Amino acid sequence: MATQVAQQESFGRFDFVSKVGLFGGLSAVIFILSFVYLAVRGITYGIDFVGGTEIQVKFGSPVTIDQLRKLTDGMSLNNVHLQGFGDQNEFIIRFQTATGKTEKEINDLQNQSVAKLKEAIATQLGSSQPEIRRVDSVGPQVGAELKRNGFLAVFYCLLVILIYVALRFDYKYSPGAVICLFHDAVITLGIFVAVGKEVNVPILAAILTLIGYSLNDTIVVFDRIRETEHAFRSKGMGFVINRAINDMFERTLITSGTVFVSAICLYFFAGGTVSDIAFAICIGIIFGTYSSIYVAAPLILLMEKFNLNPKAA
Amino acid sequence: MENLRMRSIVALFFMAICLVWVAPNVLNTDKVWWPSQKRLNYGLDIQGGLHLVMGVDVAGVVREGTTRLITGLTAELTRDGSTVQSIAPGATEGQIEIALGAANHDKVNKLVEERYSTVLQKMNDADGKLTYRYFDAYLHDYKSKVIQQAIETIRNRVDEFGVAEPSISQQGEDRILVQLPGMADAEKAKQLINTTAKLDFMLVEERPPAELQALVEAAEKAGNYNLGTLKYSEYITRLNKDLQGKIPAKTQILFEKNENAATLEVGKMPFLLHGDTNLGGDSISDAFVHFDQYGAPEVSLRFSASGATLFKNLTGQNKGHRMAVVLDRVVKTAPVIQNEIPNGEAVITLGGGRDRDKKMEEAKMVSTSLRAGALPAALEQLEERRVGPTLGADSIHKAQMASYIGALLIVLFMLARYRGMGVISNITLGLNVVAVLALLTSLGATLTLPGIAGIALTVGFAVDANVLINERMREELRHGASFSLAVKEGYAKAMSAIMDANITTACTACVLYYFGTGPVRGFAVSLLIGIITTLFANVFVSKVLVDTLVHKFGMKKLSV
Repeated sequence: MATQVAQQESFGRFDFVSKVGLFGGLSAVIFILSFVYLAVRGITYGIDFVGGTEIQVKFGSPVTIDQLRKLTDGMSLNNVHLQGFGDQNEFIIRFQTATGKTEKEINDLQNQSVAKLKEAIATQLGSSQPEIRRVDSVGPQVGAELKRNGFLAVFYCLLVILIYVALRFDYKYSPGAVICLFHDAVITLGIFVAVGKEVNVPILAAILTLIGYSLNDTIVVFDRIRETEHAFRSKGMGFVINRAINDMFERTLITSGTVFVSAICLYFFAGGTVSDIAFAICIGIIFGTYSSIYVAAPLILLMEKFNLNPKAA
Repeated sequence: MENLRMRSIVALFFMAICLVWVAPNVLNTDKVWWPSQKRLNYGLDIQGGLHLVMGVDVAGVVREGTTRLITGLTAELTRDGSTVQSIAPGATEGQIEIALGAANHDKVNKLVEERYSTVLQKMNDADGKLTYRYFDAYLHDYKSKVIQQAIETIRNRVDEFGVAEPSISQQGEDRILVQLPGMADAEKAKQLINTTAKLDFMLVEERPPAELQALVEAAEKAGNYNLGTLKYSEYITRLNKDLQGKIPAKTQILFEKNENAATLEVGKMPFLLHGDTNLGGDSISDAFVHFDQYGAPEVSLRFSASGATLFKNLTGQNKGHRMAVVLDRVVKTAPVIQNEIPNGEAVITLGGGRDRDKKMEEAKMVSTSLRAGALPAALEQLEERRVGPTLGADSIHKAQMASYIGALLIVLFMLARYRGMGVISNITLGLNVVAVLALLTSLGATLTLPGIAGIALTVGFAVDANVLINERMREELRHGASFSLAVKEGYAKAMSAIMDANITTACTACVLYYFGTGPVRGFAVSLLIGIITTLFANVFVSKVLVDTLVHKFGMKKLSV
């Protein structure tokens, strides 16, 4: 009993570090599973990244998806995907551009298909008062470029963070911060693909957002660890991390909680693209909060061990 | 508290600036005097509109230019009496290879060096073969002119359409981004943009206008069509096909818009034209409005080296005839050739009898047409996004609703948890949002959906900053500090975490801005702005507020 009290006074309510093996292992498993899943299944890119066309049409009077399918079937479009959403009279028609020809031909072909489809909707379903609300048509080379730039941006972000954390804190903190962010991004992406959502430019923005949150969270925890380290260095890094996380625990829950609440509001009420972004952020916050405690911090311990070993030898 | 007065002044000053910037968005400031009239722009994904990315075939234009240069050079060499075996474009862009026998080597070399000293540099001279290529600076300049001209052409066409606030800008090396907000008739605009400006000089075959008019009307009646039912280009093609045999071979009928008519459809004046002058927009290097000795506007045009030769021959052989300037198959003007023009510099004087403004307008129109046709680059549509206005309104309405609910929950939570300090936090959070909008407005930034995501993120950071400070104050109070000490320590100790978090985020935002395109950039901009305003509102101003309460109003304690 006495020892327990003493322990409570020393690093706080919860002993995070003793469960590092369990949660760290769990994280590693989930991360690897997500990674393998993404590698095998592949990320479902939206038209922003692979090129293609998406048309959103709303009808004034009821139209069934079969009616629409009949219309598109007669048009020799490539890989057509129909999806009803919102109230029942709104649909998204998506199709891929024909491949295997020169880029110019692909672009021309795509523009023709869009025009043809719109005309078909206007003539064949004209009585149902169609309103074309959105057309997104992306050529293959632009898509490839958007993809490359987007992922390059994420990569360089991670690199910059690695360097900043190494300079501002200590090199032993750096891998924790970066791996933690990578962990969050991969798992969120994995879940995204698993629930059948497509990755488009806004989703990339969402993933960047959650990297931002996760980073914020991790840095705050790191900052506290650094502060605690000055005072309690002698008690060992395990103690320091435990105490720092405990001290920060309420703040972490409050911050993540408030952001989570506003994200969930967006998810439920906003609809469309914003909903997708909010969904990614919700998942990201859960893993971001968790990972600052159980991915980033244990990695400091690990780095510390690497650091100590040569001296011991 | 030290410097409290100074800090209060700074805080008030910036708050006032924010108010000035943000006000035009909510109040109607058109009628009253207000220092800033800028309003926040909404992206096309919010307000609806047409977004096009056009690829410009720069390489194609360069290739064509090279071919033209070879034609000109061949002519000059022939005149000079120095025949060569062949002149052909080289393997890489902008290279020219001249194969010649040993005999004319020096002569050819000298001619090229003299006449093309600013354009071509010698790369290689071996085995009876001379290799030249464009100077890098020249090629670079040439390419950027092609893009600028394409942008100009698109702008002209869009302007003709009367779209409010179109944005046409270069993207990357050879792309043009066209954004037309709230475009009701997107299809027409797209077609307009998608065609290439083509400029031709054609000799006029003089016929009485009535005769031509009769021919046209007969053909229209026979085929049962007119300009109202067909697009102009289709109409012209059809008409000239129908008139084959009735008009001389190698001529065609094209129209000029009557200057008093609103559209071509209402007032079209037919011209019978010879289509084989070989002189196109590519022969022109520049065209601009110029004033004669009496101050009347006229159009000056300058031909390129090869164009000047063609033009000299053409004007020499057709003195007294009219020559039509034809852009996109529409006759723009048809001046009479007064004299042979040898030096490649011509002036188009405009018909008299009209007022100066009208003349000025025409001069501008003709010179723009000439310039637009000078570098006709093929455009290719690479990306199209179109958002109907109702969808944009829907999405902004829903997103607004959702953010209000989210914000309300945060406000209530902060009040419940921190009470007194919660009030301060909520005030500064509100200020933060106002400041973000103010900065976005003043920078003329465009608010897109990813941009809103960026703002949401910064609000999250701002909440975090306040939570960090407040939790820290609680901690200090728990350790037995007085309230004023807790304030001091709370802010001071939370500062390092807040700064680190915001600086790392700022770094990533910079990287995103640098590498990102369009939507990602919008996200990065709001993020950067949000970081600045968070540090201002939720750290600086909130400290000023608390200090004022404690030191000015002698408040002993604020619940936290």
